[in-house]
Formats: sequence, structure tokens, C-alpha cells
Amino acid sequence: MKNSEIVIKTENVTKIYSDNGIPVHALRGVDLTIHKGEFTAIVGPSGSGKTTLLNIISGLDMPTEGRVWLNNKLISEMSGKELSDFRRDHIGFIFQAYNLIPVLTVEENVEYIMLLQGVPKEERHKRVVEILKEVGLEGFEHRFPTQLSGGQQQRVAIARAMVANPSLILADEPTANLDSQTGSALLDKMRELNERTGMTFVFSTHDQMIMERAKRLVVLKDGHIEKDLWKE
Amino acid sequence: MLILKIAFRNIFRQKRRSVLTALTMAGGFTLAAISIGWSDGSYNFIIDMFTRNRLGHIQIHKNGYRDRPSLYKTIPNYRQVGEKIAGVKGVEGWTPRLFAAALASVGEKTSGVQITGIDPVHENQCTRFDKKIVQGKPFQFNPNKDVIMGKGLAKILRARIGDEVVIVTQGADGSIANDIYRLVGIVETGDKMLDRTVLYMHLRDAQDLLVLPDQVHEIAVIVHHLKQVPELAKQITKVLNNPELEVAPWQVFAHSFYQAMKADQEGMWIMLFVILLVVAVGVLNTVLMSVLERQREYGLLKAIGTQPNQIVLLVLNEVNFLALGSILVGALLGTAVNYLLSHQGITLPQAFTYGGMEFKTMYTEVNARSLYLPAITILLSAWIVSFFPALKAARTDPAKAMRIH
Ligand SMILES: Nc1ncnc2c1ncn2[C@@H]1O[C@H](COP(=O)(O)OP(=O)(O)O)[C@@H](O)[C@H]1O
Ligand SMILES: [Mg+2]
Repeated sequence: MKNSEIVIKTENVTKIYSDNGIPVHALRGVDLTIHKGEFTAIVGPSGSGKTTLLNIISGLDMPTEGRVWLNNKLISEMSGKELSDFRRDHIGFIFQAYNLIPVLTVEENVEYIMLLQGVPKEERHKRVVEILKEVGLEGFEHRFPTQLSGGQQQRVAIARAMVANPSLILADEPTANLDSQTGSALLDKMRELNERTGMTFVFSTHDQMIMERAKRLVVLKDGHIEKDLWKE
Repeated sequence: MLILKIAFRNIFRQKRRSVLTALTMAGGFTLAAISIGWSDGSYNFIIDMFTRNRLGHIQIHKNGYRDRPSLYKTIPNYRQVGEKIAGVKGVEGWTPRLFAAALASVGEKTSGVQITGIDPVHENQCTRFDKKIVQGKPFQFNPNKDVIMGKGLAKILRARIGDEVVIVTQGADGSIANDIYRLVGIVETGDKMLDRTVLYMHLRDAQDLLVLPDQVHEIAVIVHHLKQVPELAKQITKVLNNPELEVAPWQVFAHSFYQAMKADQEGMWIMLFVILLVVAVGVLNTVLMSVLERQREYGLLKAIGTQPNQIVLLVLNEVNFLALGSILVGALLGTAVNYLLSHQGITLPQAFTYGGMEFKTMYTEVNARSLYLPAITILLSAWIVSFFPALKAARTDPAKAMRIH
């Protein structure tokens, strides 16, 4: 796996927030490389810097120091629009909650990115149907998010993240709002998709049960990588 | 596009708030539409009363007559002048008049009167003179030494239909002119002051009495459309091509009246401005609340690749949908009310007089202005107040917004 293409590379990434003038060191020099096809968990207690790291990797946030390459492109050199288009085309997001636009149906939520990309209608519909089948939500196209359970909503989020075939799927504590059974099932689904499609997944969690399902564990503590474990 | 769908469906998320905002906008629109319909309606109604009823839209006199009326300042060969005017496209009719001060006696009673010589055919066609006769009958086609009095004058003279009326005045040749006439009708012109002095005569009787053969003091012109008056006045001047004659549109010969009407119309702009403010406050409140509530959604949309300008469109279009819906409702309501009141009229609780005319019932008007001015007002106020919240939404930092739990 380590021999395949590099999707993300960070070099000495440091993030210092300012909390009413008091500097908060969220990340202290993180060097991380993620290859295509990985199924990696960023783990660590609350406040260890997981969200900050994922946000910086995706270009949602800028590091105070250090450099980040996404698909071998240095993100600090991209303009706002470039970065926004890059995210749209290369990164799929799954957040802890509030992933879906409440006034859009499942189908519309999933096709949203393809619409931004200008994918023709027929093609969009075809891919929505396919991907919903993949995540086990066939026949739910016309439901609204409020008509779904928490686990189903997260599976729609996975479908949306995957539908445009991004290079990388980032999931920040995707199971934190789910009960452990539903959460484990969601992770199994993600891993199954990773294995079948070869898509790269990076997710964060502080849940023991969830991190066990990862192929690689990157342990964060106080803003630096404490351990980097490869399973298998 | 999905952005439009989101914008549209967002309206229904906070139904109470949307309904209140829509009501403010629709109410503002309706109010504005009715006010404009009323303002324009009464404007045209009053002007029409003032002009079509008696004065005419355009008047032609000998130079200087308007400033200092005199028996001697006459328009000669008035028929030729009239025929030239009638040839101008847009002119509905013309009517000649001859004026003179005189003393009129009926039995023991005597009063100062203003003789007004009219051509019955032209006057009926232009100002519906015969319709104003409240008692008796109109003039005959040929001069018959008949007179018709204003109601007030008849009262002063205690005159009744069929009475003899002795008139004394001075002829243009300097002679004392007097003759006996018969009262055949009593009129109400709409101007009570005038009704106390006016005495109508067949034009040819008046010309004979005053020794002014073939001459008149005034030609009043009625046109088809009030709006065309200034333009037609110019055309008539050109057609007459006579430096001795002065052609004045109503805006000139009724200058103070015109000024008063214009001032009245300015009230409309003030009212539109007030409506703009009220709508602006209502919309601002709604837009600010939704933008604050939906920060996480804007953050999510941006995170997954939505451009800031699309977020601006999202917020503005939500307001647009609401505004367009409200405008539609307001337009239907406003037009319906205006239409109704343009036919039924509004009977004022107390009649008011304006320039000597008494107004009891006013009519609104259905016109384009009463729709597009409120529409512009509503949209403008909605856009002005939505623009900055929309920018704020577009600037949402997704990393921060998604952290809000
Ligand atoms: N916008 C911010 N301003 C100030 N401090 C922040 C901000 N965001 C995160 N932090 C701090 O940075 C540290 C790392 O936070 P975070 O990346 O959210 O950790 P995790 O996701 O592992 O819980 C925490 O101490 C948090 O309080
Ligand atoms: Mg976190």
C-alpha cells in the first residue's frame, strides 16, 4: 500500500488558534502521508486536534505553519475558487452531524455536487441510484432527511461524499452521534466500500470499537502524532 | 438549479415568519397600489372636472386677454380658427365663447351677471352643457333670445322658468345695449361661485347684443387624452400660425390649480418611501434571523464546493420568491380594489371643494403605475436589506460553522 500514489502529504503542520488573545496550539508539527486506498483512522481524545488536522488537509482551514499537498498540489498556492473547486472534485466530506440540506430530498442531496460539476441529468440520476444501492438506501430517493434515522442520514452523507468519485473521503467523527451498533455498521459499510472501490478514507474517532475497524491508526495527542500503527 | 429549489423550499421552513413577512410585503404593495390608484384617479378626476367640464383642456384667446380681459380683445373669424383646430389629430372638439359683464333684472330684482355666449351644438359636444341643466330645457339650434342661468343667480333674482329677463350692458360700439330675454333653463356647472353670476346666451344673441359680429373671446378645446395636452397645444399653435392668438394648455391657464395638483402628487412619493421603510424592516428581520440560523448549512454548502456568489443568490432568491409571491397577491388585491373603486367610487363622508368645485365622490384608477411603482418599491427594499446578510452568509467560514453544535 505504501507504494501507491500519495493523496495527502503534510509537512510540519502547525496550527495556533487565538482564544481571546491566548494562543492555543491545536497542532504542533504534524508530518503525515496518506496513500491511495488507505482506510485510516485519526484517533485521540477530545481536543487532541483531529478536527483541526482534517480541516487543514481538506483546505477548509489554513495551517499557521507547514505545508500541505493534496494530489501533489500545494494547497497554500491555490486561490479561493480553485480550492473550492478542488474540494468539490477531489474530496468527499462526512461530518459528525448536519450533513444534509434539510430541504432537499435524499436524491437531491446526493446529486448536489454533480450539479455543481455540471454532470448531465441522466448521468446524475443513474449514479444516484447506483450509489444509494451501494449504501443500502434503495428506494429512499424521495425522502427528506428528517424522515430518516441518524444512521440512514450518515449513509446518505457517505453516498454524497462518494458519488463524484473523489480522491479522498474525509469523515470527522462520523459515528459520534450514533449508537455503537449503528456506528459499527456504518464503519463496516465504509470499509466494505473502501475495499470494493479502492477509494481512500480518512476518518477521525475517539471510539475504541470504531478505531478497531481501521487499517491504519494515527494517534494524535496534544497536537502531535504520538503513534502511527499499521494493522494487517 | 438546486440553489433555487433550496431557496424556494427554505421559505416554508419558518412558516409563521414567512407569512408575516409576505403579509407585510403584500400589505405594503396593496396599500401603495390603492394609494397610487386613488391619487392618480382623483388627480385625473379633478382635472377632468376642472377642464373637460367647463374650461377646456386648451384655451385660445387674443393675446393679452388672459391677463386683462376686455370686451375688445376678440378672436375674429372664429369659425375658421375653430375649423383649423378641429383638423388637428387628437382634438375632440372646440367651442367658442363670448363674455361680457352686464346687469340682469327679473321683476324687481337686479344683479350683476356674466354673460357667456355659447354655441349650443359645440358646447354640448365639448362640455355636455345640456347635461348640466337641472331645470327647464336647453337652447334651440337657432338664436331665440333665450337665456339659461346658474342656479345661484336664479335664486338671487327669484327667477323662474318662463320669466322675462332684462339685460343692460355696453356694446362694443360704445352704445348702451339692452334687450329682453326669456329664461328657459337653470344650470349647475359644478362651480357654486360661477353659478351665482353666470348667464348663458346663444352665441349669436350675445354677438348681436354686444355688437361683436363673428367674434368670440375664447375658444376652448377638448382633447381625447389628458396626457397629450401639452403636445397638442404646440401643434395647435403651429397650425393657427397667428401671432395675435395665444394658445394655453390647462397647466398654464389654470396655473395655481396645476401647482396644487402637483403638490398633491408629491405626497405619493412620501408614502412610497414610508412603505419602503416598513417593508425593509420586516424583511431585514426575517433575513437576518434565517441567515443566523442557517450558518451551518451555508458552511456545509461551502465545504462541499458551493461558491460564495451562489450562496448570495441562495439568500437573495429566497427573498425574491417571497417578494414575488407577495407582489402577486398584492397586485391581485390592489387591482381588484382599484377596479371596484374606479367604478363604484368612494363617497366622501364630507364633500370638499377644490377651486370652487364640489367633490362628493372620488374615483380610483387602474393603471400600470399603480402596479410597477409598488413592485419596484417592494423589490428594492427587499434587496437593499438582504444584500448584506447575503454577503455575510457567503462569507461563512465552513471550518468554524461546522464546529457549532
Ligand atoms: N476556532 C478555534 N479557536 C480557538 N481554539 C480552537 C478553535 N478550534 C479548535 N480550538 C482548540 O484547538 C484544540 C484542538 O481542537 P480540535 O481540532 O477540535 O480537536 P478534536 O477534534 O480532536 O476534539 C482544542 O484545544 C480546541 O479547543
Ligand atoms: Mg473534533
